[in-house]
Amino acid sequence: MLSTWRAMNPMARREALEGYTALIPWVIGFLIFTTFPIIMSIYLSFTEWTIIEPPTWIGLANYERMFTRDPLFWQSLKVTLLFVAFSLPLKLVLGLMLALLLNIKVPGMNFFRTVFYLPAVISGVAVALMWMWLLQPDTGVANTLLAAIGIQGPNWFWDRDWALPSVALMSIWKVGGSAIIYLAGLQNIPPHLYEAAKIDGANRWHSFWGITLPLLTPTLFFQLLIELIDSFKVFTEAFVITQGGPLKATYFYLYYFYEEGFRNFNMGYASGLALVLVVIIILITVFLNFTSKRWVYYESD
Amino acid sequence: MRGKSRFLALTMILLLVMSQLGSALAQDSVTIEWWSVAGNELPQEAQEAIVTAFEAEHPDIQVNLTILPESGYDERMTTTLGAGEGAPDVALFWNANWYAQTLDLTPYLEADPDLSPEDYFENFWINWATWGDKVVGLPLGVGANFVMYNKAVFDEAGVDYPTADWTPEEYIEVAKAVTDTEVRRWGGDRPRGPYRAIWMNYGAFPYSDDSTMVDGYFNSEASIAAYEWLWDLVDSGATPTPADIEILGTEGTGPIDLFLAGRLAMATLNQGHMLIAVDEGVDFGIVPEPGFVDSQRFVNAWSLTASIWSGTENPDEAYEFLSFFAGPEGQRILMEQGTLFPALPAVLDEYENADTDYAQAFFSVLEDTQVAEWTAGHPCWRGAVIRSVQDVWDLINLGEISRDEVTTTINDYIDEAQASLEECTPRLGG
Amino acid sequence: MNQTNPALAQPAHNKRKNNDGIDWQRVQRWVGTALVYVLMTTLALIFMIPLLWMLSTSLKTRPEIFAWPPEWVPAVPQWGNYADAFNSYPLGRFMANSMILVIGNTIGELVSVPLIAYAFARLRFPGKSILFVLMLSPMMIPGHIRLIPLYSAYLRLDMVGTYWPLILPSFFGNPFFIFLMVQYMRTIPRDLDEAARIDGAGTWTILYRIILPLCIPALTIIVVFTFLWTWNDFLQPLIYLSDFETYPISVGLAFFQGRYSVEWNMFMAATLISILPILVLYFFAQKQLIGGLSTLGLKG
Repeated sequence: MLSTWRAMNPMARREALEGYTALIPWVIGFLIFTTFPIIMSIYLSFTEWTIIEPPTWIGLANYERMFTRDPLFWQSLKVTLLFVAFSLPLKLVLGLMLALLLNIKVPGMNFFRTVFYLPAVISGVAVALMWMWLLQPDTGVANTLLAAIGIQGPNWFWDRDWALPSVALMSIWKVGGSAIIYLAGLQNIPPHLYEAAKIDGANRWHSFWGITLPLLTPTLFFQLLIELIDSFKVFTEAFVITQGGPLKATYFYLYYFYEEGFRNFNMGYASGLALVLVVIIILITVFLNFTSKRWVYYESD
Repeated sequence: MRGKSRFLALTMILLLVMSQLGSALAQDSVTIEWWSVAGNELPQEAQEAIVTAFEAEHPDIQVNLTILPESGYDERMTTTLGAGEGAPDVALFWNANWYAQTLDLTPYLEADPDLSPEDYFENFWINWATWGDKVVGLPLGVGANFVMYNKAVFDEAGVDYPTADWTPEEYIEVAKAVTDTEVRRWGGDRPRGPYRAIWMNYGAFPYSDDSTMVDGYFNSEASIAAYEWLWDLVDSGATPTPADIEILGTEGTGPIDLFLAGRLAMATLNQGHMLIAVDEGVDFGIVPEPGFVDSQRFVNAWSLTASIWSGTENPDEAYEFLSFFAGPEGQRILMEQGTLFPALPAVLDEYENADTDYAQAFFSVLEDTQVAEWTAGHPCWRGAVIRSVQDVWDLINLGEISRDEVTTTINDYIDEAQASLEECTPRLGG
Repeated sequence: MNQTNPALAQPAHNKRKNNDGIDWQRVQRWVGTALVYVLMTTLALIFMIPLLWMLSTSLKTRPEIFAWPPEWVPAVPQWGNYADAFNSYPLGRFMANSMILVIGNTIGELVSVPLIAYAFARLRFPGKSILFVLMLSPMMIPGHIRLIPLYSAYLRLDMVGTYWPLILPSFFGNPFFIFLMVQYMRTIPRDLDEAARIDGAGTWTILYRIILPLCIPALTIIVVFTFLWTWNDFLQPLIYLSDFETYPISVGLAFFQGRYSVEWNMFMAATLISILPILVLYFFAQKQLIGGLSTLGLKG
């Protein structure tokens, strides 16, 4: 890095200095709120710590257990990856479709935008309970409606095959939150491009693929990373509704982490679990960041 | 110039005197931090009344009450205790994992002329105030699970009320008899997990007493019998499905609302639910969970443990307050202004509705052997061993295996349970 | 405005009347609009089902909630549940406290995020791509792992029991917002800064005079999401606050869940009341979110 610095001209040095200056608040925050807890977690992952009593050093034992003889680690990883693979594409596509709909400028759209944002607003136990009620196998609204059109609805949260899709359904319901971010991205596409395309005889389908989508790739990249991280961190649904069941079908990684750390007071092991998750997500992020140079289009580059 | 400096000097002296005075006053009065929750059992007003009464008796001690929401109390306490600093002087240490950071009360109790362990229910004292040789706190209130039955529903169905000597098989028979699928009324509910009162009444325990062996315990005849009983109960159709139970009893509050609505004829509930049912005017009776006449009877019972944090700077004052709060005075106020059933027999005797049938039934349940007697000494049972065999429970509960498969399924999980037991015991003991 | 909309754009030169005197373009547009409304209403109804059920529960008596068959509309709507919810806990006070936290966090994010994002989006410096991934990393760390170390840190700073632990971090920039802002800034053509630079504007002038005014939609998202997340955050206030009078609404709502039973109707009523401020803010914020178009359209 120092050699790069020497090779820079004064203008570039000045710009770099300004860049570092602008990053000062972030660096301070990062050192306090991220580096310090991470270093502590790394240390704790080599210990056995019951939280209440001081930690004792056990070397690599936690990691050895994790990778060689902990079926729950692999189960929770499998479930979480399944969830990511299943819900992430759906959330990305449905969020964009919803945003395109909400971007149509007809009177009263403000109202609809608020309605679709509503699910993202309510959190916690009340919503979880509502969903359990809706998806109740015999009397729930969902299966009643399905029965009306002659379909025998599944047992949703209480079926080993349907529990995971049910949790995905809950998170897709909150897609209005990410639609807002797409909406903001859509505003940044210069309208004259569409007009030019129209003159060239392009229809809406063409405009979407030729203009909207390419110019929306920075937003798409953002959504991809954010939703990815979010999906990896799925927790509340398992915590409130399924308790990881049935048959560990919703035994999400963070749920396992929480159970080990805060229920079983096995914080050394839980720290190890958390760090492995961070490493997995960072690797995927770096990979996606790398590929992004090929498919993300920036006006400014 | 001179006038100014004289004024300055005077001010300095004045400030000095005032600060001395201030700190002298501050030294006289000690503030005790007390963390608690609020609810039917422990209303905020009643707790404030305790503080007022205590401060009147001890003008040199101030108490600062912090009310936390129940659903976050564990996280808050665990975080603070984990940080090792800033924990309150007195708090509810209702999680046994916290006991290592409680102050041993043995010397204080020995020196206390007014309060002694004998003042409390003996079995509650042993299970909820002691941990090894240590006295970790004082038991606050008594609670227990039992079966509540709705008399109106039983009368309507023409079924006799259950009696205290009933067996698990009889539970299923009674539940079937009062079930009415047309109005979606269920006869009974399902247990929330294995190895509680009914399992222990069968004589079933998840692993050996010395915490070394799962084989021969989890798959013992008694244990298989208990799981087969669960299978029969599920098969009977006399209980709500897991979906119904979870929906209607979210957050572990039990299916009290279904019971109140008359849609559940019998349910395993507790003394808090009992008082709600009294308030709502439901005519009900209470029997213990089913067991066997010729074997030991277990009850799932508990007490809140109120303790002093080992890091407190004012242990003497903290004890003064704790012994007031969880002693006869405090528990009496909580009984009169809240719905707490005191853990001190002498105070509980003053309970105004003590002669009602429901109170008598509740009191008699309190004398049975507690599930905690086994679980307290086996910290690996729930978090490690039961978790590793949770699938067996789920398979039976969802009706996915036949009755014949119960034994083989249980045997399939022996190795996994043994592994998790061996992983856990070096850490938590057993 | 319609001209700017890809879905409904009808450029003027296409507009012509048919021989039969019917303006087919116009009919098509009406049908299109009608279809949009039908689609949106249907979707909205599906999305609203859980919330309508919450509303219905909040207006029921306790036995009605668990009656069978379940009723959507209670026989006598119990509006008193809302009053009861307000009377049982100081919900107004809790919401006012939340508002203080929201304002503090919003100021913090608005001060820090544009500056940090600008560095990542526009300025060139060695080590940027590594720092960028590092910048994102806090999002990947489970929140629970940080509880104990941060609690110790705030204890040393003597900030436990105050609002500082709940506000201070926002002044160092939330990675989600920084990333969002970076992506947004990168879609703004560089010609704009270059032109300003030629006019003699410095780096910071370009940020605050040229770039930021074009980022109104992204800034609006920051405000809306900061509001939402601060409002709903339960864990942090739970850990750091001790005085009942200072609790925010997220912690306040938790008091409705008792040890032995939950007053579902009151709990639902309180939950619904608590989300109203977020919805009101969002309803009005949309103007900034969607309206950003016209400003940019003029300049672009």
